[in-house]
Amino acid sequence: MSLLGAVGAQQVAQIAQEFFAAMIDREPGLLTSWSHGPVTVTDPMHAWVGLGTVPASRLQLTTSADTAGALTRALLSKGEAEPVADDDVVDALGEIANVLGGNVKALLAEHAGITLPEVSRQLPPGRGGVGAGEALFAWRGRPLVISLYTL
Amino acid sequence: MRALVIDDSTTMRAIVSEMLGGLGFDTAQAGDGREALDLLESGQRFDLACVDWNMPVMDGLEFVAAVRARRQWPYLTLMMVTTEGERGQIVRALAAGAHEYVIKPFTPDALASKLVLLGLLPVRELR
Repeated sequence: MSLLGAVGAQQVAQIAQEFFAAMIDREPGLLTSWSHGPVTVTDPMHAWVGLGTVPASRLQLTTSADTAGALTRALLSKGEAEPVADDDVVDALGEIANVLGGNVKALLAEHAGITLPEVSRQLPPGRGGVGAGEALFAWRGRPLVISLYTL
Repeated sequence: MRALVIDDSTTMRAIVSEMLGGLGFDTAQAGDGREALDLLESGQRFDLACVDWNMPVMDGLEFVAAVRARRQWPYLTLMMVTTEGERGQIVRALAAGAHEYVIKPFTPDALASKLVLLGLLPVRELR
């Protein structure tokens, strides 16, 4: 069973949807399960946090740079045409991974730590480790992938 | 009322500051516990500090412990802002001197409820 399977894909979806409804969209229903066939993320950005479980694991969020910008505008209550700085996008995507990771970690180990988030255009080292599992979402129709795996 | 929002994420600082602003607070921000202590030591007075747990330089727990150890700001209410995964550590934060906590993600209404509990907002602020 994958780590995602152990946590429960439905629980991960619930955590993500609650977060998006409360702090990103300020309304429910805009983050849904992906139902458009295979996911292709163009110009991807990855954000991840390490979870201090035994063995160590990682939650990773992957979406396109465009979507990362849109998420940043939504988090900061900016209009769709307003520019956002690259640093803001990195910070926002990292914070999304941090909140998701912190809540998912609670399902795995109560007293484990969590690393500070990292964000990159490159996949993190160790990606595809044991028990890789992906939960696929559509946020306002845009693909968004949450991966959970041990290192 | 003045609030100090302490979080290494500029995004989260902006969100929490916006929520607090909507509840009538004037806000200032700090990127970690050390920056926050510097603001307090500079003489700025705050009624509330919203403290992230997981920060570089000085984390939330260290900040709470440092504030309480100095006893210079007895009027300062300390509220931890954490993720669910840190809930188990809340006991440590409360023991160190934090007054309350709120779990990310949260809505403005959830934050307002905590502030009412703390006596920092009148009950009428609850929707």
